[in-house]
Amino acid sequence: MNRIGQGLTLVLLGAAALTSTIPTDLYLNWVKPAFGPFLIAAGVVMVVLGALVVAAELRGEGDADRDEADAEGARTAATAAPGAPGTTAASGADDATAVAERYGHGDGHGHDHARAPGIAWMLLLPVLAVFVVAPPALGAYTVETSAESAAPPRDSARSGRFDDGLEEAAPGEVVEMDIQAFIMRAWIDEDRTLVGREVELTGFAVPDPDGEGWYLARLQMACCAADAVVNKVLIDDGEIPEEDSWWRVRGTWVEPEGALEDVSQHELEVIAREPVQNPPDPYE
Amino acid sequence: MPDRMTPGADPTTQASLGDSLAEGWNRDEELPPSDWGRRRSSRRTGTVWLFALFITAMALAHAWLSDSLTSEAFLAWATIFTAISFQALPFLVFGVALSAALTAFVPTSAYERFFPDKANRAVPVAGLSGAVLPGCECASVPIAGSLMRRGVAPGAALTFLLAAPAINPVVMIATAVAFAGQPEMVLGRFGASLLAAVVIGWIWVRFGRADWLRLPVSEHAPGTSKWVIFRDSMVHDMMHAGGYLVVGGLAAASLNVLVPREWLLTVAGMPIVSVLVLALLAILLSICSEADAFVAVSLTDFSPTAKLAFMVIGPMVDLKLIAMQAGMFGWRFAVRFAPLCVVVGLLSTFLIGGLLL
Repeated sequence: MNRIGQGLTLVLLGAAALTSTIPTDLYLNWVKPAFGPFLIAAGVVMVVLGALVVAAELRGEGDADRDEADAEGARTAATAAPGAPGTTAASGADDATAVAERYGHGDGHGHDHARAPGIAWMLLLPVLAVFVVAPPALGAYTVETSAESAAPPRDSARSGRFDDGLEEAAPGEVVEMDIQAFIMRAWIDEDRTLVGREVELTGFAVPDPDGEGWYLARLQMACCAADAVVNKVLIDDGEIPEEDSWWRVRGTWVEPEGALEDVSQHELEVIAREPVQNPPDPYE
Repeated sequence: MPDRMTPGADPTTQASLGDSLAEGWNRDEELPPSDWGRRRSSRRTGTVWLFALFITAMALAHAWLSDSLTSEAFLAWATIFTAISFQALPFLVFGVALSAALTAFVPTSAYERFFPDKANRAVPVAGLSGAVLPGCECASVPIAGSLMRRGVAPGAALTFLLAAPAINPVVMIATAVAFAGQPEMVLGRFGASLLAAVVIGWIWVRFGRADWLRLPVSEHAPGTSKWVIFRDSMVHDMMHAGGYLVVGGLAAASLNVLVPREWLLTVAGMPIVSVLVLALLAILLSICSEADAFVAVSLTDFSPTAKLAFMVIGPMVDLKLIAMQAGMFGWRFAVRFAPLCVVVGLLSTFLIGGLLL
């Protein structure tokens, strides 16, 4: 890939990063919201860098007529040792190619700093992904294909370390919770504070493949979609909503019989549910 | 379902292409009528046309193809691939900028003062200095390259490459948050990663051969503007490390979608096998070192040592890292370095895990 190509690739990649952050919220489908500013910064750097390279190339940096002394130096270097690295990245290598062509040993012999390896074309793949595919957030497919949602580590959140607002809320008040917080509470809290409390959960619907009701699910993301973890709550209210549709569900925890660590999945008794139009951040 | 791309979102691309096209035309007319000059200019114009074609094709595909891409498996794959690429991108740009700054602005004498002369003594210093640089593994590959370029012993630079993504403050804090109430896990990660990095550095100092490494050479004439050096080495590293990062992202996304997590659970109970399986999983999934603790903590059926292996091996060896190292230092290096890291990393995990967990 020559330098114009490298510059344009960087500009396109930067444009993809900027397009997915500024005019659209596409980046929320892939990474944490906190990544936004970093993506914008990286996008700006790449666009500027790419533009500088293209501009320098078009201005004629690296042409022999720019600086005779420089070119002379490169010429000597190139003729003396055709396989040797040029003297400067931009001018040396390009001049060396030019001179090499003049003296008849045609194609660039892998010596120069100015040409990038073929692998650099791969950088256009994320550009294609953003502008053509615009990948949506992970959803029901991921929930269906991943293993049963694992019980959270028992020792990680000891009692009294929940920050889901359940304790602060007045009795009888509806508590809005993340599905992740709900599941954590349901699995770990040996005091069973959830019993009888009305909670409100937001997530997307995934029909249970076994036909018993449906799951209200949400993916929890630490950094990017590659590390997404499934959290889901079983709901059996007789009416199975469309896959991947978003719902806000108010209900109470169905208290399991027996020890909490033997529970394989938690269930919510629905009081009311309403559809959600476009939740802002698909992940928790 | 969140909004797909709106057609009006492309103007950035179009505008910049328009500019460069226009400049290309002007340039064409100004060129001196010398033979090779014309030939090179036509090659440049060719590149510009190629990109124009690419952008047009993207616009057409966006208009007609996007809505017909409905296969859920493909979309999940594309999401994970894009996620890995875009999550790594800021780190890559940061690492590349820092390494270019090290190349362009820090004089060689500064490295000589910082790192001890003897490579054996430089290795632990490099390992500990990895604790200072916040970033993930994508940032440390180009930085290690620029350290070698400035004459730091390869063994020490490699130790830095391995230590920086594993023991820096951001990763340590992330680990402490994920494993709340288990400080021994944070300590174990720090100890096992640093130990493995230093041992690998020493092994490389003792047995490593110079011709295994394709050292990136600095090719600037004395007197070239520092900013030109900065710009060129940044582009150079972006092209090398970035291209391979994308390849690694492709591989990791494919495995992420194709490998069912269920089969993991069947081996979770076996003592040694479970450790090896999580180490393998870390290599295949290629999760950023700043996020892997959260994934490790979710693998509840596995023993603490197995989770430690996941967090020690992941930042040292994974698909995207192997690809990036091959791009930076050559395949002759990568095929030797990756197995070495796996073996030493596992031994270190078993040792520290046995002592602490």
